[in-house]
Amino acid sequence: MSVGYRAVGWNRQKKLYDGSLLGGIALYLALFVTLALALFSEATLETILLRALGTLAFLLLHVVLSIGPLARLDPRFLPWLYNRRHLGVATFGVGLAHGVFALVQFHALGDENPLVSVLASNTRFTSISSFPFQQLGLFALLVLFLMAATSHDFWLRNLTAPVWKALHMLVYAAYGALVLHVALGVLQTETHPLYGVLLGLGVSWILALHLVSGWRERARDRELAAGRDGFVDVCAVAEIPEKRARVATLSGERVAVFKHEGRISVLSNLCQHQNGPLGEGRIIDGLVTCPWHGYQYKPACGRSPEPFTERVPTFRARVVKGRVLVDPRPLPAGTHVEPAPIEAGEALHG
Amino acid sequence: MAEHEAEFYVGYLPRAPSTLARRTRLFVAMLLGLALALAAALVMAQQGFGPGVFEYGTEREFRGVIEAEPYPVLAVERPGEGHSRYLLSAFGKHGALPLVEAFVGRAVILRGTLAYREGLTMIEVAEGSVKLDPDALQSSARPRDDGQDLGQVTLIGEIVDSKCYLGVMKPGNTKAHRDCAARCISGGIPPVLMTRDQDGNASYTLLVGAQGESVNAAVLDLVAEPIEVQGRLRRMGNLLAISADPASYRRLP
Repeated sequence: MSVGYRAVGWNRQKKLYDGSLLGGIALYLALFVTLALALFSEATLETILLRALGTLAFLLLHVVLSIGPLARLDPRFLPWLYNRRHLGVATFGVGLAHGVFALVQFHALGDENPLVSVLASNTRFTSISSFPFQQLGLFALLVLFLMAATSHDFWLRNLTAPVWKALHMLVYAAYGALVLHVALGVLQTETHPLYGVLLGLGVSWILALHLVSGWRERARDRELAAGRDGFVDVCAVAEIPEKRARVATLSGERVAVFKHEGRISVLSNLCQHQNGPLGEGRIIDGLVTCPWHGYQYKPACGRSPEPFTERVPTFRARVVKGRVLVDPRPLPAGTHVEPAPIEAGEALHG
Repeated sequence: MAEHEAEFYVGYLPRAPSTLARRTRLFVAMLLGLALALAAALVMAQQGFGPGVFEYGTEREFRGVIEAEPYPVLAVERPGEGHSRYLLSAFGKHGALPLVEAFVGRAVILRGTLAYREGLTMIEVAEGSVKLDPDALQSSARPRDDGQDLGQVTLIGEIVDSKCYLGVMKPGNTKAHRDCAARCISGGIPPVLMTRDQDGNASYTLLVGAQGESVNAAVLDLVAEPIEVQGRLRRMGNLLAISADPASYRRLP
């Protein structure tokens, strides 16, 4: 969290994350190039580098796309998510190196502007085997550029979360384009079945992860019916661990029902930062803490502690016979709601 | 409650919970191992890069006679064996015509870099290096082996740009290289039909029009695909050329 903008708010975890990432990238490239030159003495270094960078960028994109659903399925992957934007920017950087290399290799030093050449050299759009696969790669690179360029919280704030989120969902269009880029490009040249098998495994992994995590989310989104007073019976107090929450879907919106110090507070489940799941967070130092990037809110009013300015909607709640009842109508973000006492509720209605 | 559920990660705190940190290190190590194993597998599964050679960084001097029809070549006299013809190109994806057109039919000395593969050779001519050969008798410079008609033939193969395929780029053919081949041929590099016999041995045949003219612009949409060409085959020293209207080239499925 911050009240101003810095290029990168460095901390120990980010340094560890980026150090591991850059070390991994260097090791991959070094192994690929060294092994290729050792095994294929007739190969040219440019082609080896092009392939090393291309395969690495594609692999990194698989990791980027896996982190979200993995973190939803297993909280042990949350540390991967914390600095995922740096991983995304690194993926773009490696992809850009591959793209620039390809542009120079295949289109520079000719009778046409390389950027025109990449669009005009092959226009066989009606053929599968001859389809212009480089243009698919260019499209994906442009999407990754847009994402990398707007990855900072400055853009998240100024574009607004829905626009930013929609823009970053384009990563799936980029991924689809890259799958075709590989299938219609190098797979038309290289004959070993391993390449097709690996591409199939990669696509299957990404699809399966998203389907499973989506199915879990849907199962949890089962709408609860309201009682006669409009309040919805969400769960038993005993089902909520201390300083943690239970997530429920009320009137189409997910809410996080927190138990803390003998009281119940209900907030929107969506963190204002990147729509992280507040209900999967914890109460630390008396503040609801988002599991994604650690943004914090006061449980009673949904406001970040001063000087921070984030606010999320709050909900009225009460405890009756050990059950938590929640009014599904959201209150304006930052509205104070007195936390519902557990003991008093149980004494009154028990 | 499972151990990992009891721990909670906050990225901006100095240290991650110990069990979570250990697990994360283990996952990172596993991912790195997987990535390196993938890199090794991807490298080893590559098919070969072909026998072409480009003597990058090595410039040699050549003496011979410049011919420009249908494509620029240097005809080099082999004592008792007639002439060897070397295809010529300029730097990058450019044909050599602008460098040699002032010397057509003349004996010259030029400097350049060799690219060769399976009996076909090209010289990438160094700009400004072409000059008249002071030791040659210019009046008798024209080579004697002007051509031999080998009759009507049907060839099946792939159009490649002769520069990349000979060794400048690897691979210099098939889909991955298609755009580059189109750019090179568009720039004036001679288009060649690469055919293979049943044993996989390659032959190279220059593509020329029905009247013997160059066909660069007409074949751009046909490169890197299997095609069939019916036409008249002609031998010019060590070079083969097939004359046919490019409109008659047939794309094969």
